Amino acid sequence: MLPGPSNDDRTSRREFVRNGLRVAGLTGAGVAVGALSHRGAAADTVWQIDPRKCLSCSRCATECVLEQSAVKCVNWFPICGYCDLCTGYFEPQPIGLDTGAENQLCPTSAILRKFIEDPYFEYKIDEDLCIGCAKCIEGCKLFGNGSFHLQVRHDRCLNCNECAIARSCPGDAFYRAPVEKPYYQFTT
Amino acid sequence: MNSETGGRWTRRQFLGGTAVAVATGPTTWAAPQTAAAAAAVDENPWRYDVDRLRQVDPALIGYERVAGFAVAASGVRRLVWTTPRELWVTAGRSLLAYDLGGAKVAEVAIGDVVRCLALAPDGRLFVGLRDRVEVYDRQGQRLARWPAVSGKPFLTGLAVGKDMLFVADSGNRVVYRCDLEGRIQLRIGEKNPERNIPGLVLPSPFLDVELGGDGLLRVTNPGRHRVEVYTVDGALELAWGRAGVALDAFCGCCNPIAVSLLGDGRVVTAEKGLPRVKVYGAAGGLETVVAGPNQFAPVGSDERSRGKPDTALEGLDVAVGADGRVAVLDLVGSTIQIFQPKGVAAVAA
Ligand code: SF4
Ligand code: SF4
Ligand code: SF4
Repeated sequence: MLPGPSNDDRTSRREFVRNGLRVAGLTGAGVAVGALSHRGAAADTVWQIDPRKCLSCSRCATECVLEQSAVKCVNWFPICGYCDLCTGYFEPQPIGLDTGAENQLCPTSAILRKFIEDPYFEYKIDEDLCIGCAKCIEGCKLFGNGSFHLQVRHDRCLNCNECAIARSCPGDAFYRAPVEKPYYQFTT
Repeated sequence: MNSETGGRWTRRQFLGGTAVAVATGPTTWAAPQTAAAAAAVDENPWRYDVDRLRQVDPALIGYERVAGFAVAASGVRRLVWTTPRELWVTAGRSLLAYDLGGAKVAEVAIGDVVRCLALAPDGRLFVGLRDRVEVYDRQGQRLARWPAVSGKPFLTGLAVGKDMLFVADSGNRVVYRCDLEGRIQLRIGEKNPERNIPGLVLPSPFLDVELGGDGLLRVTNPGRHRVEVYTVDGALELAWGRAGVALDAFCGCCNPIAVSLLGDGRVVTAEKGLPRVKVYGAAGGLETVVAGPNQFAPVGSDERSRGKPDTALEGLDVAVGADGRVAVLDLVGSTIQIFQPKGVAAVAA
């Protein structure tokens, strides 16, 4: 069985090693398809977003058939700058570079900032809080490295025959990904 | 929470020095293709709005544009003044010389992509390629080819003195002091707690160096959003600058990306993302703005910049002439504009 997704970093890393998905992980699939197996779906493709086409319009937050969108922001660490001034994390004109709510760009405070070593900070997304609005993604694209991107998370997505978001996506960014490569494959 | 590739592995790799190589991956993004798509973006209730940041109060702009022309070549990167009426520009595998009327007056073919350029007092041109320096005369004759730098070199800036060349290597995150035969004498700017040097942070491949008339080096440290002042012996004398979009700060992941010096030691900086050219006092106080974002081609208006992340943008280069005029090379628009302080009688082109 393919590993199920987890919001716990250590668990997902253990699963990721146990299942030998290192290559997939290195190319963008930190967690693999789980929901499909729960639902016994026979599909061999799943919905995914091409980050190059996403216009950060925010419809991912509002159009999903689920009450909590299946689309979440993901930080792809190999291209993250670990910046102190993360323009995906901070308001364009923050009062200070600290975790004060007034400085944060994210409407739900879903991005966690952790000091690593001078002057680097790590940014992780709390998926339970993320609504998929893409505001941070636009900030990261405009002034950062573009490591934040939206993903259809397959532990949540119902793999609807016709994805409600795909239908209204102005960037035509949704595509059917093979189930064995359910996440967008970045290259460096 | 999601961690994509497992935080530890990537953090080790990042902090281990591969940031420049990976952080400039080729990801590019689309712009809205239809009116409906543009409307969807405009209607976004969570829109990331930076339009107001592109405005600079005209009262704060202390320079005016006195000349400008298009450079009909692709891949422009850096520029230097060679005479008060002539500018040399790097463009792909070429050096191009222009008079201030925009007429091309010389062209030199180089065997590789030119990353940086400096003019020696004796008229020789020092040309930085990705991993080495070559020396040319103004007729295009190659005089010397220095050995390749070891490690992961990505040369992005040069400054030349009477008997020294300073080479900014963004790949290895260091400035080399070399003699004019190409021998490396000293490494400057590397992390050294004993000398109170925090180290160069370069999320994107931009590291610039300038040598002032006071004998001090100005080195950009864009990941720390500051300019550092070193002696030619590598002692850190001063550092100034702060992160932010405010006019006196340096915006985005990594700025300033280029510096040039006025004769009195004031520093002219160039930023990407929000393309801005500003003049700071020698100790770092903002004095005036040369040009704001509205005076340059909007990012995304050409194939070279469309959809690129900030780290992959190239923005601007800046060069101060002997008479204090500021030449700005717009890498997005492939133009050169000349600015001089307002109220000064124009110098004939
Ligand atoms: S609907 Fe399309 S363009 Fe809008 S945020 Fe989602 S993927 Fe991006
Ligand atoms: S800004 Fe929006 S997309 Fe980004 S983490 Fe917050 S809720 Fe998610
Ligand atoms: S397929 Fe269905 S559940 Fe999945 S993202 Fe689209 S609308 Fe949401």
